[in-house]
Amino acid sequence: MEKKIEIKNVSKFYGRKQALFDIDLTIEQGMFGLLGRNGAGKTTLMKTLAALHKKKSGEITVCGVPIEKAREIRAMTGYLPQDFSMYPSMKTDEALDYLGALSGIPKADRKKKVTSLLRKVNLIEHRHKKVKELSGGMKRRLGIAQALIHDPTVLIVDEPTAGLDPEERIRFRNLLCEVAEERIVILSTHIVGDIEATCENIAIMDEGRILWKGTVEQLIDNARGHIFTSNVEKRFIPQIKKEYIVTGMLSQNDYTTVRIVSDSEPDLPNTVLTEPDIEGAYMYCLHSSGCDVKGGEE
Amino acid sequence: MLFSKECRRILTSLTFIIYCFVVGLFFVSQYFEECNGVPYVPDEKISEDHDVIMHGAVDDLATEFFANNYVCYPYGFYKSVRLKEDDSKKVEECLLEVTGLTHDELMDIRDSGEKYYIERGVQETMYYEIGEMPVSDTITYERFCELMGKVDDILGGGSNYKVDDIVFRYSYVPMTDEEIEGVISDLYDKDGVAGGYARLFSDYMGIVLGIMPVFVTAALVSADRRKRVSDLIYTRKISSFKLVFSRYTALVVMMFIPVIFCMIAASIQLIKNFDFSDLALYRMFTLPTFWLLPQIMIVTAVAMIVTEVFSSGIAILLQFAWWFHSNMSNGERLSGSIGKFDLICRHNTIYGRDEFLLSRNDFIFNRVFFFIAAIVITALTAYIFELKRGGRFNGFRLFGKDSIFRHKA
Repeated sequence: MEKKIEIKNVSKFYGRKQALFDIDLTIEQGMFGLLGRNGAGKTTLMKTLAALHKKKSGEITVCGVPIEKAREIRAMTGYLPQDFSMYPSMKTDEALDYLGALSGIPKADRKKKVTSLLRKVNLIEHRHKKVKELSGGMKRRLGIAQALIHDPTVLIVDEPTAGLDPEERIRFRNLLCEVAEERIVILSTHIVGDIEATCENIAIMDEGRILWKGTVEQLIDNARGHIFTSNVEKRFIPQIKKEYIVTGMLSQNDYTTVRIVSDSEPDLPNTVLTEPDIEGAYMYCLHSSGCDVKGGEE
Repeated sequence: MLFSKECRRILTSLTFIIYCFVVGLFFVSQYFEECNGVPYVPDEKISEDHDVIMHGAVDDLATEFFANNYVCYPYGFYKSVRLKEDDSKKVEECLLEVTGLTHDELMDIRDSGEKYYIERGVQETMYYEIGEMPVSDTITYERFCELMGKVDDILGGGSNYKVDDIVFRYSYVPMTDEEIEGVISDLYDKDGVAGGYARLFSDYMGIVLGIMPVFVTAALVSADRRKRVSDLIYTRKISSFKLVFSRYTALVVMMFIPVIFCMIAASIQLIKNFDFSDLALYRMFTLPTFWLLPQIMIVTAVAMIVTEVFSSGIAILLQFAWWFHSNMSNGERLSGSIGKFDLICRHNTIYGRDEFLLSRNDFIFNRVFFFIAAIVITALTAYIFELKRGGRFNGFRLFGKDSIFRHKA
């Protein structure tokens, strides 16, 4: 069985509103990042891949199994929803055991699995705590554990690091990388840093469309020659933000070093071409695809 | 096993604790208190004599007609009805036909009656003390029922002349000593005492079990959505059929357990009050199980499907309406007549075995029907659950931000 997800010309509607437009993607083993702004259609695509949403047209096969065979898809897919939540008065190990039972794992195996997963996600000491007593980061780790309990071939993780502190975020990303060694992991996020740290292959979505797909290096290469830094007086900042895509600012005394995404060299003093980072490359990708990404507030 | 996990979830839920408390309280306050000590001895029976019924009803109708004040209980609530001239004329026509009197003769009876006043709330109504009214020699019982039905319609329903209730309201006559002895010996010899008490037990518990299961069910079924766990559940391998039936079975079993405890308490009470040798104690378990289990099953099944399709609030409202209608539609008949589709079957006496057996076929049909209907509805719920988890159906929200009534631009 080839570990591959193939998405061909997939469209999805909510009533009369189209949410996905002819999505074409091939996702192979390892970490795959789906990057996009809020409302880009990432969650819709994730839910469609998890057989939670019905597509209008197109084809999806997960490791050779058509998405319409929902039972088989569910058996091979682990899903961590964006707003992971569990019955709050259940204990941590109870919650995992319950979801394991729903995944059809026999009782004897379940006990071992629950213990090993809790150890893996570093929750073994909190196994008797109620879900409502866990911190945000712990909950998210429990979320990963529940998604892995039936040892799925595909792991779909929707915005897993939103709201986590930096330490938890790093811990969570490392955990995802670990589990991605033997399966397909699809990570959907609007946080560019998560993708940079974990994914080799990515796709960028906006308004229900795939704007770009490839490797992180290719994305950065695309932006080469379009990222600049300028050292400008602070008073010009509002005007610069109106005219250019500003991806970073560093203030020093009366001057600010701004990082700018632009098709051509900006007409600003002390401007130099800079090596792109992934954030700039992402912004350039959105900009070059015609998205409005200027932060023009005064 | 998923079933035991669902049982555990139910056991630790607040609504289930409240359910146990209410069921227990109802059992103690209604059944246990009433059945403490020696059984009461009946002194009245329902007469088959149509003359008795017709005389009783005509006396009441004439009294209310003269006062133009009719006591009605539409849907169980007291209502004093005063008729306009046209409608009053129609009632008079019925009364004249039943009595065989002329208008003048009827007025003479009224005028010869002594006036007295009754205060009802802020209103004071004048009544006439009249003697026994005549009943026409030519009127048949069928025609009498027809006319009483017409009067009930004019009064808007729920009156003393509702045809279904009239026999129970006006047919009670004193029992002879032999009849009293016969009824008591039926309790001992045919019912083994426990059979009679089991009917009364089921009668009372049927009232509370006609409504309480909806709360536990609605809370459990809606928990996935309320706690935002739906997607986690939907993406599991388990079949919708297995999940829904596991939850359903767990609900029914858990909600029946307090009833079993009540049966045990009722049995202990019987052992205390009667000679053990007189008791066919198994009847305290078999009859209530056959009587009450299908009721818990149907209420649970309906609550599940409505919660899946609409919401828990709608399920509670709908069940309350059904429960209320079923309670009220029994009217005066608290024993002796069980309809094929009554949610709540009534037999509010430890006696009346023969009377109960008259409705036996309807009763059996009723319980088997609800048993099968509950399973069919649960299978349908599993199908709806499958549609929901595949994104093919999202339910109908009547209120809130996803309301189907909300204008969508």
